[in-house]
Amino acid sequence: MAQPVMRQALAEASHVVTRLGGKTIHRGVSLRVEQGQITALIGGSGTGKSVLLRVLCGLLVPVSGHAQLFGKDIVAAVRSGEINQLRTRFGMLFQDGALFSNLTVEQNVAAPLLEHTRLPRDTCFDLARLKLSMVGLPADAGDKLPDELSGGMRKRAALARALALDPELLFLDEPTSGLDPVSARAFDQLLRTLCDNLGLTALLITHDLDTLLSIADKIIVLANGKVLGAGDLASIRQLDDPWLQAYFASRGDILAPPPRETR
Amino acid sequence: MIVPSLQVTLAGDTMVIAVAGDWRLQQAGQWPVWPESASRRPSSAVLDGSQLASLDPSGAWWLLDLLGRHGLPVNRLALRGFSPATSAILTLVGQHAVRGAPKRGRERAWVLALGRFSHRLAGHAGDSLRMIGHISEEMLGMLRHPGRFRLKETFAQFDAVFVQAIALVSLMMFLLGVVFTYLLGRQAMQYGASIYVVDGTTLATCRELSPVLVAILVAGRSGSAITAQLGTMKFDEELDALRVLGLSPWTVLIIPRLLALIVAMPLLVFIGDLAGIAGSMLIANLQLAIPPSMFIDRIDTAIDPGTVITGLAKAPLFGIFIGLIACHTGLKVERNARSIGLSTTATVVESIVAVILLNAIIAVSLSWLNL
Repeated sequence: MAQPVMRQALAEASHVVTRLGGKTIHRGVSLRVEQGQITALIGGSGTGKSVLLRVLCGLLVPVSGHAQLFGKDIVAAVRSGEINQLRTRFGMLFQDGALFSNLTVEQNVAAPLLEHTRLPRDTCFDLARLKLSMVGLPADAGDKLPDELSGGMRKRAALARALALDPELLFLDEPTSGLDPVSARAFDQLLRTLCDNLGLTALLITHDLDTLLSIADKIIVLANGKVLGAGDLASIRQLDDPWLQAYFASRGDILAPPPRETR
Repeated sequence: MIVPSLQVTLAGDTMVIAVAGDWRLQQAGQWPVWPESASRRPSSAVLDGSQLASLDPSGAWWLLDLLGRHGLPVNRLALRGFSPATSAILTLVGQHAVRGAPKRGRERAWVLALGRFSHRLAGHAGDSLRMIGHISEEMLGMLRHPGRFRLKETFAQFDAVFVQAIALVSLMMFLLGVVFTYLLGRQAMQYGASIYVVDGTTLATCRELSPVLVAILVAGRSGSAITAQLGTMKFDEELDALRVLGLSPWTVLIIPRLLALIVAMPLLVFIGDLAGIAGSMLIANLQLAIPPSMFIDRIDTAIDPGTVITGLAKAPLFGIFIGLIACHTGLKVERNARSIGLSTTATVVESIVAVILLNAIIAVSLSWLNL
């Protein structure tokens, strides 16, 4: 068996405990998001996947434990203000796109460029149009307001905005939810292509089994406030957890249950 | 971080463009420009990336844009010394780069704006008429089947529109009475006509100030609340849910709110009258030495009951307009975040304009009829 290559962790959590509204959500979660990989975070509803993402973005301070982004401690960065510098190095795709509703799509994608770089206005808009084209949006979508777009197009526009500053890391919160199967698969392929071509790392929260099967390099399972397991699809399927087995059983046509050793 | 650089050399007939350093968005201020000494349009060109430390899509865009603007065939560049990762980025950006804004047709903006405005206005008028039709139809139905009438909902709305506004209306009109009387008093004292302050303030308060200001307050409070509530219910399909359950949004939601407004307005105006007069009495006592008993006597002799009745009669009319505007705007809310804010603002502004316009029409008509 080949030795696993030790990749650099762009985002890392160790023994993170979070509490929201008196309820403990994470009881010591430790995980690594390794460079160059698409990592999928799965778990039942209410297991705190989105909350963990907010911790990694610096939007929520954990009760205890450490979270690191690009090797820097997140809580310290929030206190010192360095977090805003770190935030230009990753992009976030929110579940409903979270596009600014009173700006056009083009203005949405150009906004981070206008804010964080000193490039001339025309160049910012040219770069915005480049990103819109890269995510597969037609040229006339740029002038539309977010509420004039379909769900699939809104997600692509949000992806373009997340890519505006050419980040090294992408966080995606259920990118294929609410999309029809064809659009969902197209989005998965887009993500894979961009990650491969641009050398991006991605952490995505998903319920979509097809996404796991097609583009995830590594899967992290969250259950009962802890990480149940982390690894590739084959190793995750070996885990003995009722929720996980039921989850994979729903696609019994594609996934034959792993052979059990009887000797 | 290695500063990005670009060098152009000629090897025979071929132009060699060597890029070096970090070509990323962080280096945006330092991206190289075309060296002046380089000649344009060579017969062939090679892009050499052996010294390139890193490349991201923004840097690649700048590079390709630079080459394109100086006559190089960007789509048919020979690449040399690029790693698989950087050549993938270069190819991807080359496929997608778009320079310049897409062509937009020239428009006569003001003509279009005028046309759109008129069209919208006509649409509004049509929708309002339709809404009034629906409401009238439902109310007639309620007269025939009194069981359909939602007593509890109407009382709940009445509580919100009237009872919860009493304190605010009293305070507002009291303070207004104080200020108005003070100003009038200052003038009247100069001519020794202090007692006429009573006439002036009572007339103004009961006939004009109380109805109009209470209407503005109710429009801001209750009108915007109705619009926001109906708008949100339309937005998340609650109105459709009502219809699908066989209920009518007019009967269940809108008519109770309208009736509450119509009944509450005259009551609030009356309370406003009392509060305004109380404020006037206070200042008249303090500033003009007119004791309350003399104030009341003067009202008895000089003020005609018609004054108060006119004010009270205007109130339900204002209430109807506020209610119809609020419901109409609420039902037109669209499915996006800014629409609610725009609609509630529109309700308040339109209601205030309508009230003041109506008030002016009534004032002119009454004076023409010598009332």
